[in-house]
Amino acid sequence: MSAEGASAAFVETGLAAMGIEVDEVEIAVIRAAHELYWPAILELLSVDTGGVEPEPNPDLSRRP
Amino acid sequence: MSEVDLTLREQAAGIAAGEIDPAGLLDATLSRIEERDPALNAVVETFPEQSREMLAVAPPGPLHGVPVVVKDEWPLPWRAERFGSAEMLVPSSPGESGPYRALRDAGAVIVGVGNMHELGASSTGNISVYGPARNPWDTERCPGGSSSGSAAAVAGRLVAGAVGADGLGSIRYPAAYCGLTGLKPTFGRSAMDGHHVAKITETVVSGPLCADAADCRLLASALFGAELQPAAAPPLRIGVIRDPVSEDVNPEVGEACETAIEELRAETGGSLIEVELPRLELTVLATVLIANTEQLHGASPERLNDLDPGISPLGRGIIKYRALIPAAAAIQARRLRTVVRHHLAALFEQVDVLAWPTVPAPAPPLEAPLVELPSGTLTADQANVRGGALANLTGIPAISVPVGLSSERLPIALQLSAAWGRDELLLDAAEALERANGRRWVEQRPPLAGAAPAADSL
Repeated sequence: MSAEGASAAFVETGLAAMGIEVDEVEIAVIRAAHELYWPAILELLSVDTGGVEPEPNPDLSRRP
Repeated sequence: MSEVDLTLREQAAGIAAGEIDPAGLLDATLSRIEERDPALNAVVETFPEQSREMLAVAPPGPLHGVPVVVKDEWPLPWRAERFGSAEMLVPSSPGESGPYRALRDAGAVIVGVGNMHELGASSTGNISVYGPARNPWDTERCPGGSSSGSAAAVAGRLVAGAVGADGLGSIRYPAAYCGLTGLKPTFGRSAMDGHHVAKITETVVSGPLCADAADCRLLASALFGAELQPAAAPPLRIGVIRDPVSEDVNPEVGEACETAIEELRAETGGSLIEVELPRLELTVLATVLIANTEQLHGASPERLNDLDPGISPLGRGIIKYRALIPAAAAIQARRLRTVVRHHLAALFEQVDVLAWPTVPAPAPPLEAPLVELPSGTLTADQANVRGGALANLTGIPAISVPVGLSSERLPIALQLSAAWGRDELLLDAAEALERANGRRWVEQRPPLAGAAPAADSL
């Protein structure tokens, strides 16, 4: 399966695997959101953060 | 002029001096809402009996007797919030939320609940279980979201101040679209108790929407539980960036914001410094992922299959889409947040504030919230989130201030952000900008608010 096809199948198979039911309009919204965000999500996942890990219990009211 | 048209601080001072009868002000405010709100749909519920009870026992605080609106995002003792939706994943119940207690302790009177975009899920305000709120500058335009009704209520002069919530720009976008000043406080500084994600959120804060910075200072002081003292803004080192957030904008917006930045620099005797914010596009995505996964609270498959059909199809789709966000991406978003927070900490050693347009184009039509930018046509949400996300991701404060009117007489706004805890500096900077432009833009009134002094656009 092509990457594009796999990405499209991700929506249907993901929802089905979790037992989440959708109607025609909902699936259209979900596909649109997926098409919008998925390439950027893949880009985000490929970012090298240089070994930086999430701050444990971050205090977001202060500088790190 | 009615006392309802006074600023928040003028109302408070008038009551404290015995020159304004707070019971009369409350009645006049309720009458104003009844008169003007049919055109705005900004205030989705009033409760005169409870408001009068609040006034009867109001302590002599800084907002004694002053009516305010609170967004439909916190419970009140007599009302559960609805989050602008037919249903919330985790049902709400009436109670004493943090903003309620903060306002009560300051002596304020909650006069109504502000409309909001359904589930807080957009920067436009064009979808709500109550129907869309409308922009007082043009009632066919979006008021901004998700604190749509809070902004429309203040811009329409139904009240002088309103409390909003900001998890992804939701105070600053409506402030920008409606020509108001709106402060997104430093994370954790303002009252949040009772919010449905208060215990898990890393993005959402409460904050004020008012006509100008001084009123925001007064209302923010109540929400912070501490008086935010004014001071002369120091010579500001203003950070500007060459990025789509400041360059891929409507030309009128770009021109007005550049003018405002220069006015602010000159007023404070400061300087402009070009800075870099690497990976800003991914920073935006990281914020979107974190904010959306926070809203998964209570989202079991069974629950998602039993959503109220009154939720819009778009809202139902968004709720279900959130279940597909990979956990690895949500964790990577937090790694990126760490990188960005360290970068910002270093950046704020070089600059005092960062400045760019709050939103890249004026309020779009309610029917089709699209904006035309040099790069093409984008949904308003896609365009707006570029400028709003950073403060929510990292916890820093940010303020939106009006800096112009477009040729269609729609507000244009500049956003200033600063280091953690420097909310006061942002308010001081906003007041410096007001002085620099002669308060020209904060004193503009939309036609619906009754007084539109002739003023040039831009």
